[in-house]
Amino acid sequence: MDRRTFIKTSGTAALLAPTLIMEALAAREQSLVAVAEGNDHAAITRKAINAVGGMKRFVKPGDVVVVKPNMGWDRSSELAANTNPLVVRAVVEECLAAGAKKVKVFDYTCNDARRCYVNSGIEGALKGMKNVECKQIEPERFRKISLNGQFLKEWELYDEALSANVYINLPIAKHHGLSKLTLGLKNVMGIMGGNRGYIHRNLDVALADVNAHVKKHLTIIDATRILTAHGPQGGNIADVKVLNKVIASTDTVAADAYATTLFGLKPSDIAVTVTAYKRGQGEMNLDKIKVVRV
Amino acid sequence: MKLTPARICQLIFLALFLILFVQTEYRGRDEINAAVNAFFRVDPLVLFSYLLAAKSWSWLLLPAVLMVVATLLLGRFFCGWICPLGTILDLLTARIRKTAPIRALKGNTKYWLLLPLLSASLFNLNLSGLLDPIAILLRGLTFLLYPLLGLAAREGWVSLYHTIGERRDALAPAYNLIRDNLLPFRDTIYPLAFLSAAILLGIIALERFETRNWCRNLCPLGTLLGWLARFSIFSRVPATLCGDCGQCRELCPTGFDRDVLLKEECILCMECRQGCPHGRISFRPSAGLKGVGPLLPERRILLGGLAGGLLLAVPARFRNPEKESRLLRPPGVRSEDEFLKRCVRCGECMKVCLKSALYPASYQAGLEGIYTPLVIPRLGYCEYNCTLCGQVCPTGAIPALPVEAKRREVIGKAVFDKNHCLPFARKIDCIVCEEHCPIPEKAIRSREVTVMGLDGLSKVVKEPYLVEEICNGCGICENVCPLETKAGIEVFAVKNRTPIPPQSAGQEEKPFSAYP
Repeated sequence: MDRRTFIKTSGTAALLAPTLIMEALAAREQSLVAVAEGNDHAAITRKAINAVGGMKRFVKPGDVVVVKPNMGWDRSSELAANTNPLVVRAVVEECLAAGAKKVKVFDYTCNDARRCYVNSGIEGALKGMKNVECKQIEPERFRKISLNGQFLKEWELYDEALSANVYINLPIAKHHGLSKLTLGLKNVMGIMGGNRGYIHRNLDVALADVNAHVKKHLTIIDATRILTAHGPQGGNIADVKVLNKVIASTDTVAADAYATTLFGLKPSDIAVTVTAYKRGQGEMNLDKIKVVRV
Repeated sequence: MKLTPARICQLIFLALFLILFVQTEYRGRDEINAAVNAFFRVDPLVLFSYLLAAKSWSWLLLPAVLMVVATLLLGRFFCGWICPLGTILDLLTARIRKTAPIRALKGNTKYWLLLPLLSASLFNLNLSGLLDPIAILLRGLTFLLYPLLGLAAREGWVSLYHTIGERRDALAPAYNLIRDNLLPFRDTIYPLAFLSAAILLGIIALERFETRNWCRNLCPLGTLLGWLARFSIFSRVPATLCGDCGQCRELCPTGFDRDVLLKEECILCMECRQGCPHGRISFRPSAGLKGVGPLLPERRILLGGLAGGLLLAVPARFRNPEKESRLLRPPGVRSEDEFLKRCVRCGECMKVCLKSALYPASYQAGLEGIYTPLVIPRLGYCEYNCTLCGQVCPTGAIPALPVEAKRREVIGKAVFDKNHCLPFARKIDCIVCEEHCPIPEKAIRSREVTVMGLDGLSKVVKEPYLVEEICNGCGICENVCPLETKAGIEVFAVKNRTPIPPQSAGQEEKPFSAYP
């Protein structure tokens, strides 16, 4: 090795070292899932966030934050097809309190966007809040992104979700006809454009492909009410179970794995979770996940 | 143009028409309180054709009865004071240079239009909406001009994004204001757009020959009102042109091209009174049918009109059965025949449809069904919780139903096409249709079956199936089917449209109330 090569190599190593060490540490760090329980849905949302380090850990002053709830269906809040508006509002408030410059809340809906935004209760819950934007998807903002995944080579993703400083994944836990459950990993479909039905033919792999590309700084699963059957849109109050729980984790796979148990299922029953785990996107073994109840 | 009382009234009604037109759109509330259907509810042509065709009464028609009474008392004031198409003609006509009137249109042409229309109604074919001036105006606006406005605004907004990117956000509040209050929510391209606009423009082009050409020679509503006006107790004095002046001939937009002013052609615009150099003219009550000519048109026109209607009504019935299988009507329409008797083809339901499910029939419903609304699920679906089409229908052809009832109304039934549907044809998972099915108990369900994959290996696939009893035919399954062009599931028309049982349509949903 001549001097020039030595300098080059050591220089690169010195530059990369902090990142590499951080990565290694992060990988070894046990996945933490916070579970808060109580009747005050805003309060338990805050508790769960604080238990994973508080919003200040993720949101720095001046950040643009995307909060991505599930509000894909024209169903009222108690039918558990969309994220609880009280939980959404609490998360948005925490972001603002941590100094966020702007909080954007959106979802690419399945039913008519206007009806979903209104009837989910989310648009109303955020009305009048300063520096909060709850606007419908504008198709021109989708960008074709090279994913180089196993199933999806490229796909249209929503620009605002990708360009934000912080991305908070805020699904509701519910039943799904194809994937059995829809949780944090599947919530990413709300920032996907194009013919979304196409990915159903290989759903778990497609979702892993997209999730590998989309950094979720924090995943908060709304389990204040869960939809136990006829998901993902339900419509019958008899299918809704009130659990009064909110789950938070920086590891989406771990959050999903824990949420699965609320339905009496094992993480290994859910192909979407298993595939993401195998791809190294997070931890699904419950005995390796540290669950903190608050 | 002088601002006479009639002019001011015309402009107010034109503005009202346009405001109501823009309001006939989902603007964030489930109810539309005031829609442009108000204009059809006072329309006597709609009244008579409905009564003749449906042979029954609807309270929605009461305002039109009042209009008939008012016309019997005052005369044909609707044309000179209210009709928005007439106002548009008045506004444009000064800019159009006139040649000579078309002789062929004179005489009884207008009766040859009105009478067959009414007579066809009697034989159960209600075509009055095709020539109703308000319907013509509305269709031109709805199917071409309004979508064009929306498209132009949206394209401009999108290209602004491609030019200046995120900086566009600074202008967003202004654009949102326009979008939320003025623009159509989504751009829908309608079939028959050019025909609709061409008819409207054709009527404007007729102004080239004489003022209010359409109104005095063709318009069936005007003809009907004119006939009613013969009985009016209100008339112009003097009834004839004065020998020493004749100025009225120039001023009158309608009937004064003869020596005597025919009551049935006077639209009470009062231009002659305003313009009379001698101040001789007044409009006042005067008894009798003096100088109005025979009460009814000649017998051959009456009989000919009746026969024309019959001829129109019967051969127009022809329908291609294959087309009929996809003849899906808006929710709540249970009988095709009853629907055709009431529909005025105004296009309001198609304008208001949330998910762009409704389109005017061009050939699908035969000649008799032209411009009637059709659900085309591959283009849009019937939103489960939406009741707007029934709310804006002027005649109740689409019934106004509470949302619980509307969800149960059957538009058609979905059928899988196993040659296309992925789990059957390609042995792979999909069931996007089940996911989107809005029926709480799911009219589309799936079961796991072990099949031989195309690679020859055994595998488990979720095969969808339909629970026909609880399918309401909303079409969301066909709409979202991820196959390209042709869907693997399609909605077909059914004769028996008995609503699905209530327990399948979901429990009472209470609106969310945590935030007032």
